[in-house]
Amino acid sequence: MNILSNRLTRRPVSIALVGALLLAPVALLAPALSAQEVTVTSASSSTSDRWLHVRVVDTNHKGETVRVNVPLEMAEKVLPAINKDRLHSGKVRINDSDINGVDLKTMLEAVRSSKDGEYVTVQSNDNDVRVAKQAGYMVVHVTEKGVKSAKSDKSADKSEEKSFERSRVDVKIPMKVVEALLSAGKDELDLVAALRALSAHSGDTELVSVKSDDSTVRVWLDSKNVSD
Amino acid sequence: MMILAKLAIGTATTLMVAGVYTFREGTIRVDVDEHREGGAHVHVWAPAAVVPMALHFVPDSKLREVYDHSSEWAPLARIAARELRKYPNTTFVEVEDDEEHVKVSTVGTKIQVDVTGPQENVHVTVPLAMVEDVIAQIAARQPAS
Repeated sequence: MNILSNRLTRRPVSIALVGALLLAPVALLAPALSAQEVTVTSASSSTSDRWLHVRVVDTNHKGETVRVNVPLEMAEKVLPAINKDRLHSGKVRINDSDINGVDLKTMLEAVRSSKDGEYVTVQSNDNDVRVAKQAGYMVVHVTEKGVKSAKSDKSADKSEEKSFERSRVDVKIPMKVVEALLSAGKDELDLVAALRALSAHSGDTELVSVKSDDSTVRVWLDSKNVSD
Repeated sequence: MMILAKLAIGTATTLMVAGVYTFREGTIRVDVDEHREGGAHVHVWAPAAVVPMALHFVPDSKLREVYDHSSEWAPLARIAARELRKYPNTTFVEVEDDEEHVKVSTVGTKIQVDVTGPQENVHVTVPLAMVEDVIAQIAARQPAS
């Protein structure tokens, strides 16, 4: 026993080396174990995460279906890293924002400052556009109209034109999100701030719905990490 | 006798360290099955730890080329890889039609891409930690501008 203790006290460097070598795997394993713990924690906390879902069903082309599920927290962190074209630092430039004759920013400002229930209506032969503010939401309905000729009952030779709904777009965005979008200042929309506002919004919300003859698009928000 | 014992301890410990490191980093898996006659069937399982190590042997000039091509999306990929680790076992993108099925999902702390189609089936699984390591290493070896 004395011989062993003598040897041990005489060779502290060797002992330290052997000890370090033996403990090295444990030290290496520790981060892996802690990472697993983090994974478990985040997996359990992910139930309270807000998820943005997109589903596109195209009946025209091979019946293609696209499903995208994005956690808002992740989108908030990834978006500022994209710097391409109009998108930079989580903001999008809209300096030439006249989309089909509609100044997007002015329209959003008008809705934000207007009282609940007031709305803007644009009616034309091709489209009907309605923008309203209802119960804390900005609501936009766009209907694209088509015209088809149908033979009238009175005369077989004469035909009359009937308009039909070619496609319908419904958008319902919480006003807090609209306000966050406009918080970037002139000529910019703050997407990250909007995502943050969207995260804070409680309850399941259908944000966008597009229905046409050949496709359906749905964008919604909930706390589930699966589409259906 | 003591020398042999020391050598044995050293070898065993090295193997253990290597084993634990490989376990920690995970494995890369690539499966490609072409359905045509005589088509390729590639099945590769490799320890992910090999990739960051192998990067040390890539010349700086080559890495600079890679960086030049990837500088736009590399920061994005790095953040995405870090964030995706918080969402294990989740399907992020799924595209399917009458013939093909594409799925991008996480399986544990790995990202998995599955493509199933009439021509071929491709399955790729890569540990997210490795993606982060590789991008960080490529960025770290660029000359300061």
